[in-house]
Amino acid sequence: MNNFIKISIIALLGGLLAVLSSCTNGGVDDPGSGFDRPAMLNNYGNNLIIPSYESLKSSVDDLDAAAGTFSTEPTPSNLSELQNELKTARLAWQDAAMYQFGPAEMNVLRAVLNTYPADTDKVNSNIESGDYNLETLENRAAAGFPALGYLLHGIGDSNEEIVIQYTSDQNASNRMAYLQDNVDYIKESTDATLNAWLPDGGNYIETFLSDDNAGTDVGSSLGMMVNALVLHYERFMRDGKIGIPAGVRSAGVPRQEATESFYAGYSLELAIANLQAIKRIYLGTGLNTGDGLGFEENLISLDAAGLSDEIVTEIDQAIAALQDLNDPLSQQIENNNDPVLTAFQELQDVVVLLKADMASALGVTITFQDNDGD
Amino acid sequence: MNFRKHLTNQTSIAPLAVFRVLFGFIMLVSIVRFAIKGWIYDLYIKPEFFFSYYGFEWVQPLGETGMYVLFFVMGLAALGIMLGSFYRVSAVLFFLSFTYVELIDKTNYLNHYYFVSIISFLLTLVPAHRRFSLDVLRKPDLRVDTVPAWMVNIFKLQLGIVYFYAGLAKLNPDWLFDAMPLKIWLPANGHLPVIGWLLEYELTAYFFSWSGAIYDLTIVFFLLYKPTRVFAYAAVIVFHLMTLALFQIGMFPYIMILSTLIFFSAEFHENIIRKARQIWNKVGFKKPSGTFSTHKNYKLSKGASGVLTSLLVVYFALQVLLPFRFALYPGKLFWTEQGYRFSWRVMLMEKAGYTTFHVRNPETDESWQVSGYEYLTPNQEKMMSTQPDMILQFAHFLEREYQKKGMDDTEITAEAYVTLNGIRSSLLIDPTIDLTEQEKGFAHKEWILPYPKNEKTWLGSQE
Repeated sequence: MNNFIKISIIALLGGLLAVLSSCTNGGVDDPGSGFDRPAMLNNYGNNLIIPSYESLKSSVDDLDAAAGTFSTEPTPSNLSELQNELKTARLAWQDAAMYQFGPAEMNVLRAVLNTYPADTDKVNSNIESGDYNLETLENRAAAGFPALGYLLHGIGDSNEEIVIQYTSDQNASNRMAYLQDNVDYIKESTDATLNAWLPDGGNYIETFLSDDNAGTDVGSSLGMMVNALVLHYERFMRDGKIGIPAGVRSAGVPRQEATESFYAGYSLELAIANLQAIKRIYLGTGLNTGDGLGFEENLISLDAAGLSDEIVTEIDQAIAALQDLNDPLSQQIENNNDPVLTAFQELQDVVVLLKADMASALGVTITFQDNDGD
Repeated sequence: MNFRKHLTNQTSIAPLAVFRVLFGFIMLVSIVRFAIKGWIYDLYIKPEFFFSYYGFEWVQPLGETGMYVLFFVMGLAALGIMLGSFYRVSAVLFFLSFTYVELIDKTNYLNHYYFVSIISFLLTLVPAHRRFSLDVLRKPDLRVDTVPAWMVNIFKLQLGIVYFYAGLAKLNPDWLFDAMPLKIWLPANGHLPVIGWLLEYELTAYFFSWSGAIYDLTIVFFLLYKPTRVFAYAAVIVFHLMTLALFQIGMFPYIMILSTLIFFSAEFHENIIRKARQIWNKVGFKKPSGTFSTHKNYKLSKGASGVLTSLLVVYFALQVLLPFRFALYPGKLFWTEQGYRFSWRVMLMEKAGYTTFHVRNPETDESWQVSGYEYLTPNQEKMMSTQPDMILQFAHFLEREYQKKGMDDTEITAEAYVTLNGIRSSLLIDPTIDLTEQEKGFAHKEWILPYPKNEKTWLGSQE
């Protein structure tokens, strides 16, 4: 009997040791035979994610500067400059919108920057009262890029008319202050997110690349990336940019005003930019660097080249279907919605491949919720 | 074979008492862990729709306060089982509260939750508190030394069924000849130090598949046979800790490692009780009063014995037969999942899907689409997307939602793409069938499409 106890204790300790040694850090040297997942994550972190936030930050800085110029000198040409900077920033956002985990999640970046359609009544009542806190939940749709789009494009038929709203209108100074506050708020959230990623800031990049998060389970870096990508694609690309305005989610009744850039009229351009950015994530193409390790290479290493080709083909078809449409998207929906519904269907085909086939092949579970399996 | 020896002969109560303590303990830990992770809220309060079991639609979540109270009761009951305090009440309360929670939502079905439910059911039938318990401290008269052998052996039989059927389920071509799904799951763990590099090799997946099947099919026999028992138990520890390291599997490994101790001899368990008592005394608690000099048997009355015998015969007959009910349905089990649950099919397939619901209002001829995320948690959506019965339930839920909005007769079809063990995702159910016209139930669902056996698998596709 004592023998038994000894043996079972030894077995227990041995087993525990085996588990512990495989759970704690012991260097992650992948053998030549396997796929180098840490290198892929490194590519994503350092060549896609951080550069995307850097580019967003620099365009938001330009936006901020242009807003400053406009407020000291509210002229139609300065307005036009500001409008251009807004568009640049919104395009830069399309590269960064897919990483809603970690720092972006902490700063609720997507909701702060890009909740649409803008609540114009709320914007106007805030301006009138001059009493608001943009950080509150009730002001989500009254702040960010879409509200800025309204303020710079939607309050007059020409730039001359819009400038009047900032110069001689009775709420002119309040409106200018609101514009500036909104830009400041965008800038704060963007800066906070980028800093949280940077090594000399919050250094989330280290967490993202750590051995502890190198697996495919819920909460691992790959798990979070795939989940964030799929969620973004389904809800904010397919539905937000196309499906909802086209009426797919509203019992078939189109809602043109729900397009991303209803007032400036470049919603489609934003959607195409976003889908191209999603394709770059899939391929692992860095924002400023060339093609690196990505989901594409990971699938190929798993002998799933066929799936990889199919995903690229389907994304390309969806991009082509979007390119068949015309901006302003709201008018396209109003006048000829059928091609928009076709584009929605093309976008839909990609969801299945990403959410089911790709996630399954990579061994990633589609859920943010940590849970037991059996 | 001498049945009487294993059924009615008196045997030491010690294994049963230790089993009770360990089971209560691990349940208490599981419940606290569950609560700390916030799962009471995530799984039973947050969702707006729950996938009931057929026939158990009356089992509904009890609201925020209700659910927290229910889990509190469950925790207290687990503590009661562990300490052997008001044991009979505790065991019944635990069984009922745990099973109630498990019946709320199919999404959360896990074989190990089913295991917990039935073990706690069996515990309600036996006097596991008549030794090594607070009840005995309170009422020394309760103490017995021996019980009829079946009271210990039903747990061994149940454990044996779990392992053996889990092994039988692995005897399928995907598992044995394609090493699926381990071929997908193991390389995903390639980052683990020490063993990680091994997991990248296909041969490792085959080795794990075959050794897993052999382990499940034979372990119970090696545990029963005294000369091999120690080695078998070492294998139990290694096997379950391995699954713990590789998969997201929660408390199950610990539960099995502790439960299988019941296969050890009476002396072994006496030893544990003695050690525990020494510690108890050292810590300075009062010594159990009474001298227990007389040897006491636990005997059931003729009536109780008869009732329990028939109950257990029916129970184990069900246990043995239920896993085979899948054979009554046509089609590939992994694809249709008709008769899949409650059969110890553990970690057998990599399945994922995506379902879009198409709704049409015939009165206005308008049609639109619904995505799961509009009503379901990601976890619910994931589970629903691969299981026809849940897709049907959700369609019925949507129908009711639209009825509330005044649309009395919507048509709802589902476009459900599913990938199973790496095949290209294919339609699971007939996308033209109006699900609002289909009934729930155990009858074969004609609208499930056949498994696309000619579909190529993505993995290993050379292009």
